[in-house]
Amino acid sequence: MIPTIGHAAVLVGLGLTVYAIVAFVLAARGGDPRLATSGRRAVIGSFGATLVACGAMVVSLLTHDFSVLYVAENNATTTPPFIGAISLWAALEGSILFWALLATGWASLVLWRHRERHRQLMPWVGATLASVNAFFFAVMTWPGNPFALTAPAAAEGLGPNALLQNHPFMALHPPLLYLGYTGLAVPFAFGVAALATRRLDTEWLRIVRRWTLVPWIFLTLGITAGAWWSYEVLGWGGYWAWDPVENAALLPWLTATAFVHSAMVAERRGGLRIWTSALVIATFVLTLVGTFLTRSGVVASVHSFTQSAIGPWFLAAIAIGLAAPLTVLVWRLPELIGGSRPAGAVSRESAFLFNNILFLGLTFAVLFGTLLPLIVGLTSGDTISVGAPWFNGITVPIFVALLFLMGVGPALPWGAARWSTVRERFTVPLVVSAAVAVIAFGLGLRAAGPLGTLALAAFVAAVMADEVVRGARGRARSRDEDPLTATWRMTTRNRRRYGGYTVHVGVLVMAVAVSISSGLAVDATVTVAPGETARIGAYEIRHERLVIEPLADDARVTETRAEISYSGPQSGSLRTAVRDYPNSPAGIATPAVRTSLGEDLYVTLLAADPDSGAVTLHLFVNPLVVWIWLGGAVVGIGSAFAIWPEPRPRHVMVEQAQAAPATASVERA
Amino acid sequence: MRALRWLLVPLIVAPLALLLLSGFGRDPREIASPLIGRPAPAWSLVTLEGETLTADALAGRPHVVNFWASWCIPACVDEHPILAAAHERYGDALTIVGVLYQDTPSDAQRFLARPGDAGYAHLVDESGGLAIDFGVTGPPETFFVDAEGIVRGKVFGPLTDSLMAERLALILPAANR
Repeated sequence: MIPTIGHAAVLVGLGLTVYAIVAFVLAARGGDPRLATSGRRAVIGSFGATLVACGAMVVSLLTHDFSVLYVAENNATTTPPFIGAISLWAALEGSILFWALLATGWASLVLWRHRERHRQLMPWVGATLASVNAFFFAVMTWPGNPFALTAPAAAEGLGPNALLQNHPFMALHPPLLYLGYTGLAVPFAFGVAALATRRLDTEWLRIVRRWTLVPWIFLTLGITAGAWWSYEVLGWGGYWAWDPVENAALLPWLTATAFVHSAMVAERRGGLRIWTSALVIATFVLTLVGTFLTRSGVVASVHSFTQSAIGPWFLAAIAIGLAAPLTVLVWRLPELIGGSRPAGAVSRESAFLFNNILFLGLTFAVLFGTLLPLIVGLTSGDTISVGAPWFNGITVPIFVALLFLMGVGPALPWGAARWSTVRERFTVPLVVSAAVAVIAFGLGLRAAGPLGTLALAAFVAAVMADEVVRGARGRARSRDEDPLTATWRMTTRNRRRYGGYTVHVGVLVMAVAVSISSGLAVDATVTVAPGETARIGAYEIRHERLVIEPLADDARVTETRAEISYSGPQSGSLRTAVRDYPNSPAGIATPAVRTSLGEDLYVTLLAADPDSGAVTLHLFVNPLVVWIWLGGAVVGIGSAFAIWPEPRPRHVMVEQAQAAPATASVERA
Repeated sequence: MRALRWLLVPLIVAPLALLLLSGFGRDPREIASPLIGRPAPAWSLVTLEGETLTADALAGRPHVVNFWASWCIPACVDEHPILAAAHERYGDALTIVGVLYQDTPSDAQRFLARPGDAGYAHLVDESGGLAIDFGVTGPPETFFVDAEGIVRGKVFGPLTDSLMAERLALILPAANR
């Protein structure tokens, strides 16, 4: 009964979505405006239908209804309710259902929010979003039916994915990532609408500012949470391996980040319009390519989904999703050319342009590396894999250049910079940067990579600090405010700028932490009998005892656990284990991570001898890793600050009135 | 020049689509088996029913060796009906042997109880020795051995009807196909 309701809801969703496409296209082509209203209601209805379908799936999982194939494959009678509920996104069919929920949710939200405005754009926005949603409904109706039944129903299911059971982060990381992925369809839809309606001015860019940043925040947090999960669960001591599934999330993030920057130029100065339109299309298509790569089994990946019949469907969607908007873009090309005001070689425009070139270069590099196994397979038939050294070698120089631009860009004026401005803006930061490098060297930091990153980060931070202090001081003087009030008012009246700075601070923190944690980590593999000790960095590790026993809350899972005590900068005890799940070929590592602000002590159990109690451990001391996650949080906070709604419309006026003289004074200086 | 810009669309879309399309039909983890054209490894193992079975007992008859596991889902679940159908269809002309790959007999029996046990024997390869001899990297993998005991074909990943028919043609005498 419940599965039937779920399946029926999917079919209703498909019907409503197809109706919405027709209604929106008719409305867009000059039909009755009520058609747009009814299209919007159909989209909201499809969200309701997906909600019902998701509910049916969760109920089926919680009641262990093994007549549903998905439940039989991802659930067992012993599965706790929490794991059962989040199994909604544990495997292919369920994840598409969940995806559809978020996609219809975004579409409903956008169409509802702008129901009274932008009467030319919205029908096309609705038609585009409904077309994207129709794809997911079609997949759920034909090749990837989440409610497919098995007869006769099994008495016991196969149990949830072992990795899902092993860490609560699985409740957080996929939804964040999917919210980002699905949300990026919204700026895409506005881009298509702007091209289709020839409303190529800045209207759509102003609307999508928030609609891009919100999914961007989710994608950023989702990627960070994924890296964190990988660090806490996979037990190899690292957090980023350039696996195709990681690259799949990174690719749209790179183009979306480039879009956020180029849209500012397009909005403020009228330039980069073709570029900006191409970027929203690329971002959306890359979300599909990423999903395709990880769900079709075409590229080998540690945690890709199994090969399935949905591959060709995704391929068709990619081809259409790329060809259709690209055709519209090419059609409007003559109208998009021109319109920008000239800018000097050293100006904020050129910094943004370089930023975009670098982001695009990164995107190509990562895409090329991810697809290289396919290219080689096609040309020579060989099977190859592209590893982290290749990706690091090609991306690190680009990341360093981006870091440099991050400091230079915001300090340069729009239009053209005079040499005196450049000198005035960058003298102090260069001195600060050199001082930081000398101090770090004096404190014993010898590795070139971390030293360089630290100096660069200090330069960028000093440029921003100088900028903030200069602005706040000016405001305090002219308005007779105390410095704190002046700073707060200045930043909250120009949230976009100072939110952006905060994001940059978060990125700096992450860059330094990544550079130092990867450059200065130490590790060792040791075999120790009970009572024996080993040393790693400043720590002494003592193997107390080996325990092999079933898990307290699930007897089907055997845990092989080493209990260890450690002393050094911190001391205490920790447990590192491997868990054997009945439905997983290899044991799932449960590394012990002792985190502090300075460094992590990270211990993985590699092997255990039950007779002697001896264990082989992989010991790591990873400096500053926690700052990567903290930096990610700062990025999230900064972008939330940037898009925080203004409390009263009056402030918008004030902000605009102030923005102009502020820019002017920068250009004068 | 104006017309030329339309070339942009196929020039961007076609290579990407072709490249991704080329990914279907080949598995990125697949490695060609060096066993093909050589004698199959010899073995003597105990079945799930507790009987001892040897490779010699199968000599003179084409056979299929299918490495699988109860935790290998959905691939092993998907291919099971295809093996069962072949077992039904060819009867004595073809022997099918399942080999448990890193799996316990009790889990395997629970698995077989679900889709219905097709009735052919399953070997318990506790030490994993047979999987190593065959060079199995992960289940499911299926080897096709002819009446002379020579490995003629291998399927990496789940069997499909067409793959099964294609590989069986390599080992079955024409009269039986």
